Amino acid sequence: MTQEISNNIPENKKIRLQIKNLYKSFGITRAVQDVSFDLYAGEVHALIGENGSGKSTLVSMLTGIHEKDSGTFILDGEEINPTNQVEANKMGASIIVQELGTLSGLSVAENIFLGHEDRFVNMGVKNTGKMNKEASDLLKKYGFTHINVTDPIDRYNFENRKLVEIVKATYFGPKVVVIDETTTALSQNGRDELFKHMDRIRDEGDTVIFISHDLQEVIDHSDRISVLRDGVYITTVNSEDTDEDELKKLMVGRELSGQYYREDYGEEISDEVVLDVKNVSVPGELNDVSFQLHKGEILGFGGLSGSGMHEIGKAIFGASYDRTGTVVLADGTEINDIPTAIDKSIAYTSKDRDTESIVLNQSIVENICMPSLDETRGKGVLTTTKMIEFASPLAEMIQVKMASIRQFVSELSGGNKQRVVLARWIGKDSDILVLDSPTRGIDVKVKQDIYTLMDDMRKNGKAVILISEELMELIGMCDRILIMKDGEINGEVQRDVDLSENQLITMMI
Amino acid sequence: MDKTLDKTKKTTGSLSGFAILAILIVVSWAIFKILTPHNFGSAANMVQYFEASLIYSTGALGFYFVMVMGLFDFSIGANVILSAIVGNVLASRFELGYVGLVVGSIVCGGLVGLINGLFYVKLRIPSMIVTTGLALIYESLASFIAGGVEQTLPSELRGFGKAPGNIILAAIAFFIAFFILNYTKIGTYTYAIGSDERIAENMGINVDRYKVLAFVISGSFIGAMGILSISYGSSMVAQTGMASMSRNFIPTMGCFFGVAFRKYGTPLPAILIGQYVINIIFYGFIALGAPTAIQNVITGLALLIIVMFATEVKKGEVVK
Repeated sequence: MTQEISNNIPENKKIRLQIKNLYKSFGITRAVQDVSFDLYAGEVHALIGENGSGKSTLVSMLTGIHEKDSGTFILDGEEINPTNQVEANKMGASIIVQELGTLSGLSVAENIFLGHEDRFVNMGVKNTGKMNKEASDLLKKYGFTHINVTDPIDRYNFENRKLVEIVKATYFGPKVVVIDETTTALSQNGRDELFKHMDRIRDEGDTVIFISHDLQEVIDHSDRISVLRDGVYITTVNSEDTDEDELKKLMVGRELSGQYYREDYGEEISDEVVLDVKNVSVPGELNDVSFQLHKGEILGFGGLSGSGMHEIGKAIFGASYDRTGTVVLADGTEINDIPTAIDKSIAYTSKDRDTESIVLNQSIVENICMPSLDETRGKGVLTTTKMIEFASPLAEMIQVKMASIRQFVSELSGGNKQRVVLARWIGKDSDILVLDSPTRGIDVKVKQDIYTLMDDMRKNGKAVILISEELMELIGMCDRILIMKDGEINGEVQRDVDLSENQLITMMI
Repeated sequence: MDKTLDKTKKTTGSLSGFAILAILIVVSWAIFKILTPHNFGSAANMVQYFEASLIYSTGALGFYFVMVMGLFDFSIGANVILSAIVGNVLASRFELGYVGLVVGSIVCGGLVGLINGLFYVKLRIPSMIVTTGLALIYESLASFIAGGVEQTLPSELRGFGKAPGNIILAAIAFFIAFFILNYTKIGTYTYAIGSDERIAENMGINVDRYKVLAFVISGSFIGAMGILSISYGSSMVAQTGMASMSRNFIPTMGCFFGVAFRKYGTPLPAILIGQYVINIIFYGFIALGAPTAIQNVITGLALLIIVMFATEVKKGEVVK
């Protein structure tokens, strides 16, 4: 369908950044291998690929976060070799990172100008007033007037901190701005703000490198799309000439077999209630929420950011504080704390994978075995051999891409971290799975695997609660969807082949 | 964007911080005043407690830079002793007077901080272990310089042992710490490194250099604490075998106050007032005639309770 773009530069375009024969390895893992392609001035250039394909590593080298092994970046005809982000900024490249990139303990203004304080320092004395004034003017210019520059950044939520990062990464007019998988952390409003600034940067003649796993978003908001697979450059296509299916094929290297979502419709849900949630409230989060979960059911929760849907998962898992109401299992056990939840076969994966689900500075084997140490130990003492014997088949089954089972989880890509989390709960053989945004920041191949896994679990009589901001995911996978608004359930829909996103959105707003 | 919902609940401002600190002074004073009305808590007594607390406050103000970075220093006591002895030797033996006392103690403290910092960043050993090992060396060095003899500060050089000298020195220390923290890059980078060292490094901050600098600042302030200590007590005895460790406790507790009140934007005043509260409790027990062991137990518990209430950790917040 799409013609691969030739090396000829269109007449109205000028090359902004040349990436030439770039290599980077981490130990035995070859993260980026001989990658070469060009980016134009005045374009939004998307970079896609599976988790672990080398996208983040590539842009990390461009912006001085990682050092390259070999190869060159040529920006406007000059080779650049930044050794940190501030140097990269000075050379004309900046980045908005995937996770939180602001620092607690500093004010909003200090975060915006971190590493660039010298412009406010005279004879060693920092002119805080001048810095705050400039930061305030910038926020006004960007339209983020609800953010106060003198406030500690800690007073703002993740989304607002991301808005501060947008200012920090773009206020000085960099020639290339990298937006690395930022949209998943933002609500629709936040995304719209981001897209607005991406368009502005392009219109001003600069370049945006946009990394996202949401392929429709990539097609809608970019001019060209480059694909990486296993650290190797595959091709670049024009966004207007391609579609999601073609991009998936380019990313994975083959047609994705089978259906993405479930194919069945009209199946009866069992009458057997496995979890009864009654009048659950959490101050400021949930208000009198009641529902039942049935055996073999996938129950979805959707809503806008701040609707309370993420708190539902925590409330069920006994992880909410000040919760009132009851969460009762079929055998009458009340779930009020996490140990009881795990003991009674409830699994939970948090939206905030890196800080709430995974221990980054521990190995894959330790992460998988964590809730199952008693089972791993058996009747004897706990040994590394036993742990590896327990974890290896699970990691293999769920296809964790790793150098070794003893590799630290911090070295894995986002999708592989999620595979580790899922392997943990499969190993525990949990009967009820509460999955909060399980496919956040994850490529299509891993997504498909997770959907298949959920479907298999459902068929085996397990019950799944899927909390997601992706409406198509809810529509495609769930037997029933509950829509949350202002901490309450605002609507319920059954699985239906004609169910549309608009029907859900109407209940969300 | 929902501007009201998006902004998380504001923590209370500096006024609340000062109010809590004022309440702590009043409550700790009132308790002991009720228990022992005649020999505790007169206006003159309260001034005396405050002046005595300035010794520890001065060291704690510097140590705050190290603590905020997530580092620790077990050589505070050894540094106080060594700096005081070096200052005294320069002042009396070399007849350099106040110049020798002030410059000698502060420079010696700064050098100790420099050694702590360099050993920590070069050896890549946790700061707690490095400073514990080095404390033994500083103790021995102080003993060697003192020649096993108690070092007495000449009476004409004891101006920093009483008002206004002690208040002036502590006030200068406070304003320097306040200035560095709020009006130089060092302050910003101290908090940045304490928040996330990796991100700070990616922002081009030379993390190792600023860590060493934090130890130097801390050491210099501890050197100033040495001046106040020897001036207040009129002499200093070199201690070995880690006996100097007992001097670590009070400035460290004051620093905890600073860290706890950081969210109110008043860390440095909290150090000053925190040390004052510690002293009120300490002198309160003395007035009660409580045995030392009981004093220590109750002081420790009281401080834990105060910090616990002052910090108001949110439910679910991770505390390390």
